Amino acid sequence: MNKTLARSLLVIQALSWIIAGGLPSQDMPLDQVLIEGEGWELVGEGYKFTEGPACDPSGRLYFTDPPGDTIYRLGEDGKPEVFAKDAGHPGGMMFGPGGRLYCTQGAKRRIVAYDAAGKTEVIASDVRSNDLVVTGKGGVYFTDPRAKRIWFVDPEGRKRVVDEGIERPNGIILWPDQGTLVVADTNTASLWTFRIEDDGGLSHKQPYYTLRLTRSHAPKSGADGMTVDRDGRLYVATHAGVQVFDTQGRISGVIGRPQKAFLSNLVFAGNGMQTLYATSSDKVYRRKTKVRGLLFTSPGTPPSKP
Amino acid sequence: MRYSTALVILLLLTSPASAGDEQYVLGADSKRKDGTPVGKVTRHSHKSELFPGTERDYWVYVPAQYDGSAPAAVMVFQDGKWYVNEKGQFRATVVFDNLIHSGEMPITIGIFINPGVVPAAKKGAKARRNRSFEYDTLSDQYVRFLVEELIPAVAKDYKLTRDPKMRAIAGISSGGICAFTAAWERPDYFHKVVSHVGSFTNIRGGHVYPSIIRKTERKNIRVFLQDGANDLDNLHGNWPLANNQMAAALKFSKYDFGFVFGEGGHNGRHGGAILPDTLRWLWRDWKPQTGKDGKKQ
Repeated sequence: MNKTLARSLLVIQALSWIIAGGLPSQDMPLDQVLIEGEGWELVGEGYKFTEGPACDPSGRLYFTDPPGDTIYRLGEDGKPEVFAKDAGHPGGMMFGPGGRLYCTQGAKRRIVAYDAAGKTEVIASDVRSNDLVVTGKGGVYFTDPRAKRIWFVDPEGRKRVVDEGIERPNGIILWPDQGTLVVADTNTASLWTFRIEDDGGLSHKQPYYTLRLTRSHAPKSGADGMTVDRDGRLYVATHAGVQVFDTQGRISGVIGRPQKAFLSNLVFAGNGMQTLYATSSDKVYRRKTKVRGLLFTSPGTPPSKP
Repeated sequence: MRYSTALVILLLLTSPASAGDEQYVLGADSKRKDGTPVGKVTRHSHKSELFPGTERDYWVYVPAQYDGSAPAAVMVFQDGKWYVNEKGQFRATVVFDNLIHSGEMPITIGIFINPGVVPAAKKGAKARRNRSFEYDTLSDQYVRFLVEELIPAVAKDYKLTRDPKMRAIAGISSGGICAFTAAWERPDYFHKVVSHVGSFTNIRGGHVYPSIIRKTERKNIRVFLQDGANDLDNLHGNWPLANNQMAAALKFSKYDFGFVFGEGGHNGRHGGAILPDTLRWLWRDWKPQTGKDGKKQ
């Protein structure tokens, strides 16, 4: 059978579903993500606590050591090197438009953006924060776990609280098309979804994703940092491991933790953004996957390179 | 095996009407009959409070025999578009016309509801599809949505029954477990359940029902399950095993239940073919019984 015939059969198949009112299940099992025989590899160790993994437009990994006041990145040799010292207890990070690195600075009670030379601009000040996500338009959403708040800083730099009441809001991420925001609640089994309004406001809050709990930590999930891939799967670091969800909020499965220690955050980086990086306590790990992450550095829907 | 050969086999296995389904065809009761009055179907839309931001369409079927003099029975269908479609696998409104005309089911208003979506505000961004959240979650949120929002909206225009025995709920796949959950949570509201290829698997924890049914005081509900040997086996579970577990649990706990297990796949072909008999079984005792003295019992 040639390729054209194969393609037409696929089209007939799709049409027959529609005509017959069939039930496409759109399942996203873990074997679409994991590569047989590939596991976690150590990237770096000896840190006080690792957090904030971020991918720059070239695919290079950055991460933070908050108690060590340092931001690291992978050098040309693939080994971690210092990007910024005295970084004010840096927490969550993400690259935004213009290739700038946005970062929460807990000790300085502010959000900053680093340019390539390491020069900082203050994005918001006098705020407590944990993790952030930067939209393609340059808006920043960040979580304040202690006050149970989500903040939004618009591209003009005006900040406001856009949600209150999640038990312990922590990780924060967008769907690939940037129309929906997801916030992880460390203290419960829920990830919350919001519709993003034109002015950056949030609406239609829903515990769309339900997390797997472990017996020793229940009812706390430990949900922390999150990332998404180009197909819309959502990955969240939890006590149970890396929990993976499909585009309908159904759990696809749980990827085991790289080590028996707290797992804080995740990001896709590297060549083609096909490598999943994980920050866990004193170490940073990675594993190759079959999927690709994406950058939110442009407002459009199509995922940007790499 | 060549790639192309594998593809053909895959297509055969995943077709809506796979080999095991061909034997299931619609009978006379699923087709229009001369002289049988035809009910009226109207389309509506609903914005929900209980599922914030969701929008959905639903259809209301009103049988020709309904005149408003007495309350009508109610039957709710999930994934309404599949059941209300007169050219689809179920053709529920045609079956309703025939069975209401023959007196084998009561004058019933059918409510065919689609799952909700939260449209994105941003142009070109994807809507949040709420089907799995609404249907697969083991809670009373969906039945509350029906009882507090959607059925009252229909009741504004029609006189509906207040008798749980005159209320039924049905669905396919995740809509099937949804129908069961609705009656399980509110047996005082829904007495009758129909599940076609129901997802009693671990999509959002629904695989626990068989054990819960065995260890919970029996509820006053009547349950019909249909499934087939070629139904799904995927990351969420194995549908044929799950439905057999459900049937075994319902039997163990002495439920009023029916189970038809055939050879079909994950579609409505078998369920549609037997829908007239399913509804006869479901509504078999709907007429008030009269005793020797002519009084109602």
